[in-house]
Amino acid sequence: MSLLRLEEVHTFIEQFHILEGVSIDVPEGDIVALLGRNGAGKTTTLKTILGLTPARSGSVFYDGNNITGRRSFDIAAMGIGFVPEHRAIFSDLSVEENLLIAERERGDFAAKEDFIFGLFPDLKRLIRLPGTNLSGGQQQMLAVARALVPNNRLLLIDEPSEGLAPVLIEQMMEAIRRLSSESTVLLVEQNFIVASRLAQHFVIIEEGRSIMSGAMKDLVDDDETIKRYLGAGTGGAT
Amino acid sequence: MTTDTKQPEKVSKQRQRADWLLENRARVSVLAALAFLFIVALAGLESKDWFPTIMQGLSVGALTFLVASGLSLIFGLMDVLSLAHGEIFMLGAYVGWTVYTRFDTTVDATVPLLLVIAPFTLMPLWQRMARWLRTLGRKWHFGIWILGLGVVYAAWYVIFAAGDADAIEGEVSGAGAGVTIIVSLLFVAAAYGLYRKWRSNDGSVESVKEAMSLTSWSLLALGGGAAITAMTKFPLVIWDAEDFAKSPSNFAVQVDLGTLAPLPADSFGWPALVAFVVLLLGGSLIALALSSLQTAIGDVAPLTRKHWTGFVAMVGLAIVLHLTKASLNEWVFGLSTTWRFFLAIAVATGLGFAVGAFIEVVLIRPLYDRPIYQLMITLGVGFILIELVREVWGRPEFTMARPAAFNGTGEGCPGQGLGGFFSGCSTVEVFGGRLRVYNEGFVVLVGALVLIGVTLLLKKTRIGMVIRAGVQDPEMVEALGINVRRVFTLVFAMGSGLAALGGVLAAPSIGLSSGMGATFLLGAIVALAIGGLTSFPGAAAGALLVGLLQQIIIRFGQTGINLPFLDEPFKPSPTVVPAAAILLMVVILLVLPSGLLGRSER
Repeated sequence: MSLLRLEEVHTFIEQFHILEGVSIDVPEGDIVALLGRNGAGKTTTLKTILGLTPARSGSVFYDGNNITGRRSFDIAAMGIGFVPEHRAIFSDLSVEENLLIAERERGDFAAKEDFIFGLFPDLKRLIRLPGTNLSGGQQQMLAVARALVPNNRLLLIDEPSEGLAPVLIEQMMEAIRRLSSESTVLLVEQNFIVASRLAQHFVIIEEGRSIMSGAMKDLVDDDETIKRYLGAGTGGAT
Repeated sequence: MTTDTKQPEKVSKQRQRADWLLENRARVSVLAALAFLFIVALAGLESKDWFPTIMQGLSVGALTFLVASGLSLIFGLMDVLSLAHGEIFMLGAYVGWTVYTRFDTTVDATVPLLLVIAPFTLMPLWQRMARWLRTLGRKWHFGIWILGLGVVYAAWYVIFAAGDADAIEGEVSGAGAGVTIIVSLLFVAAAYGLYRKWRSNDGSVESVKEAMSLTSWSLLALGGGAAITAMTKFPLVIWDAEDFAKSPSNFAVQVDLGTLAPLPADSFGWPALVAFVVLLLGGSLIALALSSLQTAIGDVAPLTRKHWTGFVAMVGLAIVLHLTKASLNEWVFGLSTTWRFFLAIAVATGLGFAVGAFIEVVLIRPLYDRPIYQLMITLGVGFILIELVREVWGRPEFTMARPAAFNGTGEGCPGQGLGGFFSGCSTVEVFGGRLRVYNEGFVVLVGALVLIGVTLLLKKTRIGMVIRAGVQDPEMVEALGINVRRVFTLVFAMGSGLAALGGVLAAPSIGLSSGMGATFLLGAIVALAIGGLTSFPGAAAGALLVGLLQQIIIRFGQTGINLPFLDEPFKPSPTVVPAAAILLMVVILLVLPSGLLGRSER
């Protein structure tokens, strides 16, 4: 049974037609990777699911409910966590406040504290620091941790490996693998190796259309498709 | 293990401090230069002058801060520079004056206002009704249009054509017969136009939309007509700026003398029950018209018990106020002016809060995609508020009597030293200088309390955390499942409440005039720019600087300043005061483009 389903979604940003028909199926409990070149519409797809850039036509179903046209906070409160591309850590807030602000009910953070610090032990030490004083890797961990504070059934994670050193990428992958036992994940990832090792399914987006989807294990050996849609460099990067 | 880790952290802290100094060297040097200039300026004053000058600066700074604080929060969170903010300050002053000086009028005006506003608590009901209107047959729509047009015609006739019943004989009263006929013909033509619209309504999406729009406006006219007619039947004791006995200035003087007795209330034009029902009906029609003007998408929220509780509470309050009016007035006029002043503060602040919430929800919210329109609409609201105040209270400036606690004279006055602030005297002597307890004591105290209160709210509460996060990235806050728009409304309302509070505080010290808002808005915007637009502590620092600078210049205008190469002391004229604040802003922005405490643009 799929937790999230997009049917022929079209999205405009101002007058620009960014998504021209995206259909995605995310089965509950799995990790789905959204692949495609820069500017293909992957980030917009995530924002459309959350209603930040609402779909003009087509439908988004979450947990069997049509959530198209609902307000973003309403959609998020149904149990969707978002880790945006540039982390969007609140720099005026301390690390602790960055986590507390994600609470939907008082005590959410206290309940998940052990799980979160088990995934990212570094954060525990940084808890009093202001958000600005974190390194890129620490910010990324905080952004993922923030999405884990409430009981989210679905996580939308945008480019978790972007700009991270290889050691940190390994750590991040391990964290995502472990958190996927608790939530379903829709992952946008430029780094094909990372995506292929994490996800069970893939969807390729090309020029605002979802053109291909299937099991990740079938795509891994399909060099031609990878080269054609994901760019030559991606396959061998890092 | 612990000692090992502590050592490098200490080093890094020192380095952080050095980095911070290097990064902020422009900021630090500007602050140092400002401090130096202020010390030099104060050193040029006689010893009995400098302390009062500082305190007066703080007083003006505190009032400016009350306007600037809201402006800064609103601008930081939603990128709206509310140009109506100064006029809300002014409205606060006038409303506070009314509660303080003419409590009876306040009650009289509150009852009909509550009744008109009460139906708005049942918004889901009106939304559902608007949907039902959409399905109504076209002849019904036409009927509503004609009724609406009839109301507009009647209003025109009553206001312009019929003339005054007690006009002097021979005087031309009302419009001439020719004008009446021409306007009546125009209305008949409009009715024919509506008839054509009715006939051409073929049930298509476009024509239904058009019909709904016309129906909404007709309902608005009907509701407005009903509400206004009923309101004129209320026994409002409205003052008359032309008649000295009934003028605001006279009332203010009388409160000072303690001689004011409530004016006898006129009797109702209608039975009270009829007036109440018509007001409720008018409010309902206006609410229905507004909700059918919106092209509703999505679900209508269910009508819950909460809505009904709000409605019943407002209507109940109106009825209770009306029934207990006489004894309530007697009780309030029996209170000391100090308590009445605190009541005035509470009512004006609350009203500022409500007006702010209304402006945000009705006018600002639909325009979040169009910032320029928001700016223009706040400017327009400001002008409307000025005209409203002139219409109701008249143009002349008047004063507000200082409450008794700050107005003592006679034995043991003026108070001596810092303890003298609590002596109940109107003035106090500190460090050889004379200070007014209200202006330089109470106002500064309230300003400081608001600064501390809002800082604590921002730093210690969840809502403060959400505001700080929202200043940076409202979209991400929304993506966390928080209703950011509700926070926007709250902050707009809070900021307006603080501005209105500033207005009441200002009234006893600087008096009331319809231009007071513009003056303080200018000061507040300068303060905001100096402090760094979105920084709350910056707004406080900027307001303080503006206040101090103004008062120092005014003081030098009195005492003169000895400049080199000039034989006579130079006396700056008071008219340069606003210019000096702007000059300070220009100089600071040239050196620090993002203000004293603002974050530099990345």
